[in-house]
Amino acid sequence: MKIRNVFLSLLIIGLSWSCTNDDDEVQEPLGDYENGILVSNEGPFSNGSGTVSFISDDLSLVENSIFKKTNDEDLGNIVQSIGFTDDEAFIIANVSNKINVVNRYTFEKIASITEGLNNPRYFIAVNGKGYVTNWGDTADDSDDFVAIINLQNYTVEGTISVVLGPEAILAKDNTVYVAHQGAWGQNNKVSVINTTSNEVVKTLTVGDVPNSMQLDGSGNLWVLASGKPSYTDDETAGVLSRINTATNVVDSNFQFETTQHPGGLNLDGGDLYYKLGDKVYEQNLSATSLSLDVALEGVSFYTMVVKEGRLYGTDAGDYASNGTLTVYDLNTKLAIETLTLGVIPGGIYFN
Amino acid sequence: MEKKQIFLFLLGLLTLAQVFGQRDSIIVLDEVVLSDAKLLHFSKGAKIGVFKDSIQQKSGASLTDLLRYNSNIYFKENGYGMVSSASFRGTNAQQTAVVWNGININSQLTGQTDFNTLIPGNYDNVVVRSGGGSVQYGSGAVGGTILLNDDFKFNEGWKNNLLTSYGSFNTSKLAFNTSLGKEKISFHFGINHLASENDYKYLGTNRKNENGAYDHINLNANFGFILSETQILKVYHNTFFGDRDFSGTLTAPADENYKDVNHRSLLELGSFNERKVARLKVGHLYERYRYFPNKQREEFSFGQANTFLANYDYKYQLNKIALNGIIDFSSIRAKGTSIENADRNFMAGTFMFLHAVSDRFDYGVNFRKEVVSDFDSPFLFSLNSSYEVAKNYTLAINASKNHRIPTFNDLYWTGAGASGNLEVMPESSWQLEMGQSLKGKRYALSANVYAIATDNLIQWRPNNQGTWMAMNVQDVSQYGFEFGFDWKKKWGNHNVAWESEYSFTKSTDNTTNNQLLYVPEHLIRSNMAYQYKKLVVFYQLLYNGSVYTTTDNSESLAGYIVANMGLDYHLPKIAKINFVFGLKVNNIFNKNYQNVAYRPMPNRNFQLQLFTKF
Repeated sequence: MKIRNVFLSLLIIGLSWSCTNDDDEVQEPLGDYENGILVSNEGPFSNGSGTVSFISDDLSLVENSIFKKTNDEDLGNIVQSIGFTDDEAFIIANVSNKINVVNRYTFEKIASITEGLNNPRYFIAVNGKGYVTNWGDTADDSDDFVAIINLQNYTVEGTISVVLGPEAILAKDNTVYVAHQGAWGQNNKVSVINTTSNEVVKTLTVGDVPNSMQLDGSGNLWVLASGKPSYTDDETAGVLSRINTATNVVDSNFQFETTQHPGGLNLDGGDLYYKLGDKVYEQNLSATSLSLDVALEGVSFYTMVVKEGRLYGTDAGDYASNGTLTVYDLNTKLAIETLTLGVIPGGIYFN
Repeated sequence: MEKKQIFLFLLGLLTLAQVFGQRDSIIVLDEVVLSDAKLLHFSKGAKIGVFKDSIQQKSGASLTDLLRYNSNIYFKENGYGMVSSASFRGTNAQQTAVVWNGININSQLTGQTDFNTLIPGNYDNVVVRSGGGSVQYGSGAVGGTILLNDDFKFNEGWKNNLLTSYGSFNTSKLAFNTSLGKEKISFHFGINHLASENDYKYLGTNRKNENGAYDHINLNANFGFILSETQILKVYHNTFFGDRDFSGTLTAPADENYKDVNHRSLLELGSFNERKVARLKVGHLYERYRYFPNKQREEFSFGQANTFLANYDYKYQLNKIALNGIIDFSSIRAKGTSIENADRNFMAGTFMFLHAVSDRFDYGVNFRKEVVSDFDSPFLFSLNSSYEVAKNYTLAINASKNHRIPTFNDLYWTGAGASGNLEVMPESSWQLEMGQSLKGKRYALSANVYAIATDNLIQWRPNNQGTWMAMNVQDVSQYGFEFGFDWKKKWGNHNVAWESEYSFTKSTDNTTNNQLLYVPEHLIRSNMAYQYKKLVVFYQLLYNGSVYTTTDNSESLAGYIVANMGLDYHLPKIAKINFVFGLKVNNIFNKNYQNVAYRPMPNRNFQLQLFTKF
């Protein structure tokens, strides 16, 4: 593996040279895992450990289990997501109630946070602190919280109590927005948290089961809710909501059909993307109704990210073997590359 | 007399010698006393191993412990004493049927049996019947069938035994059995209590198995009454109470607790004469679990199922031909946190035919058809034959079609991101097997080859909405061979018995050709016992080959060798009471091993026991 790392370093240096040959200074690489894509793989459900895979920017190189290789230890059970500060990555192991903090470019471990978390889901760094959504005990609908992480000593220094099932988390300036998907049940709220007072200043109602959020350049927060699934015997439609972050008011709701349950909201350029059934749809930010333009069809992704005209979608296969990531060019709608990663690839991040 | 008993104790090992059905003629009463006559007449050509008391006492407490070292079944145990499921001949947990006194007792909710919730010590015998048996034993008899049988001992007087045991991890066992056999009445009562802190060390770490304590109580009670020269009444009952904390894994702590209760009751009225045996059975099975995801809290989820069953079984002997027709009815009701009241009514007709052409050659043809209220069940059959080619050499062959029906979870589950699927069909499986056995005075050799093809395997996968559902998504094949070798020798005061088996198992997904999860290709077990006068030393060895833990065979668990050793000393009789003092060392080489990934098994541990018979 060392040889591969050396090769990768050379490659990165080479690329840096070629990109910066007009300048006199050569930028030192920050680590083996700079300039690439990180993918968190949840790992097997009931036992075992999740992993993180690294993919070079040009998609030519894949390195799996980079945390284990660098630190010779396991990340923990169900690696749900990774959150980032400027230099660090916070890797959340949901069932292990653990966050491993690493240098995001070398993946060398800095600390692990094991106290004060209970079913941690997602991390974001805002206003000098880290914020982590936690379901709490799944038998208790009222103990859900957002943990406040001290980014100097990597401990949980406080909690903010929130309504059931906090999931996706996102920030606009110093305000944090939390989508309440509802843990094992369903919820339909977005919490607005002021990070100066660390209080929930407002709770907004959106569609049932809000699963993903995006912030556009005009300060609108887009929240995609999948609606309640049919097995609940109370099936509801998916809803795309637009929240004005200046006023924190929901100013538009785009309703899907009752049996339509979209997910995976993304924003690239002026278009929103989401998955629904076996298609990926796109929608211009300025559209006044659901346009249902098909961006890609005949696909089913466990998770997807759209960036600079490319769609990165994962396939978890049978959930008991290594999954894959396929990169599509959205102009040609063709797959560029398919790469084998770890078990249940669930998070895609650009380093 | 005493010497003979000791010898039998040792010989227990040799009852494993694989017999292809039993050829001895049995008088009718003896047959009627058996809880399961299907094994006697309609399992010829199948590979059968019988385990009696003595082996059970040596083999720890649970059915997992007994079978792990005495059969070629692979057990996936979520940490020692936790949920334990079987992989028999490369098949999955729902493809092994467990049968209690002729009744299939696999869970109606999960379709499988947790082998750590069955305590074999109280049964008269435990039988491992390899290969397909759905005609005889119903759903799940694909890889094989485990039979738990109670016998009735008339005319044998009053017998008691008491076993007390204590050992590492604060493990204690108490087992008491009493039986009374008069001319017309037979009675047996057995109780076991089994408890352990089970906080063994995770070798290679500084951690322990922190949430693995268990406490089990098992009761067996049976009555037999000979009503007249042609009638017998039998009553069977078994109750199990389990209370376990569920161990975590190397990467995740646990705070779970699981409590389960099983009641099984059966009443059988038998009417017989020289030619016919008619049995009417009515029974009730109850299963309930309560799962506490956080044992500090009160909330739990639960599931329960009640099965009411009745069957009429009529067997007629016409010279060398045995004919048997069985009609079964059952009504099952299940409910739980994730199952609203769900019902199933079930009727099955079975016809079995055996023709013993001569003392050396026989063949059988058997059929079964089930009519079930909530899905279509396939037509099942089996054909079998055995032929004694030479005096010590027997050939056997069998072919069968078997099935595994959808469980209540598969059909009716709702909640927490998952949903049952009413469209799910039963799995159907075809198989072919050939066996040979060679038996001498001191040795027994056996060799079996088999092939199984199963379609429509039921697996849980997310649908395109991300909701997990049961689906018929996989076709799989198994083939393999098993080679057994038993040997015994006696000279002077010395006795040696040695029993070994090797099995090779290929179990593959038809699409990818990858080996299925948690199926070892190679498995070797070898048990040896040596007796000198009143001292018996025994040794159990298991080599378990590597198993894959991902379906693309990208990850695997290393193979391992585990060995146990024990010593029994038969103390002099005091006031007509027999005492046997025993010491057993499990995992003598302190091997760090796992049979499910990230769930370590115990380090070296000790168990002391005193067995008294009076």
